Amino acid sequence: MKNNKLKRNAMPYLYIAPTVILMAGLLITPIVQVIRYSFYDNAFVKKNPLPVGWLNYQKVLTDPVFWQSVRETIFFVIVSIVGHIVMALIFAHLLNTTMFKQRTKTVARIIYILPWIFTATVISVMWKLFFQPAGVMNYLLGFVGLATKNTEWFSNKDIALYVVTYINLWSGYPFYMISVLAGLQGISPDLYESAAIDGATSFKSFRFITLPQLKPILLSLVMLDFVWTLKTFAIVWTLTAGGPMHATEIISLYIYRTAFMENHFSLASAAAVFLLIVCGIVAVFYTRQQFKIQED
Amino acid sequence: MATVELKHISKVFSNAEKKANKNIPAEATHAVSDFNLKIADKEFVVLVGPSGCGKSTTLRMIAGLEEITDGELYIDDVQVNDMEPKDRDIAMVFQNYALYPHMTVFDNIAFPLKLRKTPKEEIKKRVEEVAQILDITEYLKRKPKKLSGGQRQRVAIGRAIVREPKVLLMDEPLSNLDAKLRNQMRAEIIALRDKINTTFVYVTHDQTEAMTLGDRIVIMKDGFIQQVASPQDAFDHPANIFVAGFIGAPAMNFFPAKLERVGDEYYVQVEKLRVKLADEKCAKLAAKNVASQDITLGVRPSHIRVDQGGDELQGTIEVSEMMGTEVHLHVKHNDNVVVIIVPVAGSYEKYSKYLKHDQKVGFSFDGEACHVFDAEGKNLEA
Ligand SMILES: Nc1ncnc2c1ncn2[C@@H]1O[C@H](COP(=O)(O)OP(=O)(O)O)[C@@H](O)[C@H]1O
Ligand SMILES: [Mg+2]
Repeated sequence: MKNNKLKRNAMPYLYIAPTVILMAGLLITPIVQVIRYSFYDNAFVKKNPLPVGWLNYQKVLTDPVFWQSVRETIFFVIVSIVGHIVMALIFAHLLNTTMFKQRTKTVARIIYILPWIFTATVISVMWKLFFQPAGVMNYLLGFVGLATKNTEWFSNKDIALYVVTYINLWSGYPFYMISVLAGLQGISPDLYESAAIDGATSFKSFRFITLPQLKPILLSLVMLDFVWTLKTFAIVWTLTAGGPMHATEIISLYIYRTAFMENHFSLASAAAVFLLIVCGIVAVFYTRQQFKIQED
Repeated sequence: MATVELKHISKVFSNAEKKANKNIPAEATHAVSDFNLKIADKEFVVLVGPSGCGKSTTLRMIAGLEEITDGELYIDDVQVNDMEPKDRDIAMVFQNYALYPHMTVFDNIAFPLKLRKTPKEEIKKRVEEVAQILDITEYLKRKPKKLSGGQRQRVAIGRAIVREPKVLLMDEPLSNLDAKLRNQMRAEIIALRDKINTTFVYVTHDQTEAMTLGDRIVIMKDGFIQQVASPQDAFDHPANIFVAGFIGAPAMNFFPAKLERVGDEYYVQVEKLRVKLADEKCAKLAAKNVASQDITLGVRPSHIRVDQGGDELQGTIEVSEMMGTEVHLHVKHNDNVVVIIVPVAGSYEKYSKYLKHDQKVGFSFDGEACHVFDAEGKNLEA
């Protein structure tokens, strides 16, 4: 009897054990390792690295390129989040109106999702072609007489970050749009009818019905986007590799360069620990938010 | 002052989407056809009819939630066909309440005032007044989710009456409540009416609600008005078989019968039972010069007597429902089931021999109780 009960209680843990073990092996171990490296000198490179205390942190925090990277990352992340949410709201509303027929909307939905189904590399190549000096962008701008035909979108350090951020906006919005669309479709049409009778204009309906109803979804999306954008790597790397002159070197690229191009694994680990802490804090908020949604 | 006038209003749903998606011919739904009604200031009008007869559509056209296909709609003699709902100064209570889930009860009720830029003090005062009337003061800080069905209903009503609209529209506001609460809320709506003094248009599929609430009731079927009358009038003088069967519970019984004219007197004959119509009915029929013909005879359950005379109709009791002060007998007569209400208050023994299952009974009725309908179902008296 007792044995049986024990078995039953242990059962669920047995089911999740493979995942937990894999996670521990593949995620926790490297994280612990990275934290350990960040307190050693020349980890990985030397056979017997020496513990150096907070020295690596000191070096990273006094590196002007690191701070430049942090500033660029903040810009990149905040503009991406705001942009994604705004685009998601606008496109989701377009896909959700009653102005178009169902079939039109289905086709539009597929087109709108396209950026999502390509890998970062493919997207990079397309945008590179678009923005190359002899590319479509310059042709169009020249056409309306707005810019010289040879604007170097990626090698001008004053605009490269804007261009990369812009491309990140377009490559990432579909997920947010689909999530918002699902949210919109979950709002009872009665509420809008009721609001219309209560005296609301469409803007007021959006402000007082749509936004509050979407709030839990939007909060989740903001936090997910924060973590995802913070660790963006492939698209920026394939577009600019962080250049010119670190102008697009967001934190993930900074870590990559320090570790794998300059072989300063200890310094890279210290920088990575910063990223880990920031992501960890957001993850905690995200989890709390999820619990709150479940409670409501 | 708020009158509402519907002139030849109709609504057609084109179902264009259906056509685009499937290879079936687009079938337009005529939800409402040629609806004419003039609602007086502070009148309580009830639209009643079976599900799908176009009540909600009519109400939603008054509210401005549904475009009017044809006809003219006036509120206070101003044509409002193309006016936005928010400019019509109407309020509506929805069947499922449509409360704003993210707002507290206070904010829900305050919302229409807030949108009209009413000063904060004034909002607070009016919301509290309304909460007082509806007895929901203690829930003002709660979210709708934490309320019972009846409480939500009150909040929905509160939100509708707080800004004192010209017209208050209600679409089956009680149908999501359990029977006991429904009766209670019905009484409260009657009481509310005296307090807030506005024009009501109320939709229900429940004839009891319609009878008890309405000054006038509009009985609808398949998008057409069948009759507009006071509850008593609709009950006593139904315009046609449909109204006769719909109004009153249990429903009126119908028999195939013959109407026979002898001078200015009229008789109905069902099988061997021959009944002379009441003088008043004879006079009406004679005035319209109605001839002898085959008719459908309608008699209400409460007007049928269980009886052992000579020529009464014969049937077999199938079901006998004891209701306390009366018994409802379901009597099999030919291929029909005839419902008879037998009052038994204090004298159950007297009737007990009739009230048994499988018992043969005879029954008859008087000339006052007869409603005569022609082959098309129209009331011949009307
Ligand atoms: N949006 C709509 N599109 C197509 N047909 C509709 C729509 N709304 C209602 N109908 C049809 O119109 C008729 C009347 O509906 P409704 O007014 O809701 O009836 P009721 O409220 O009396 O039950 C029904 O046949 C219904 O199917
Ligand atoms: Mg309805």
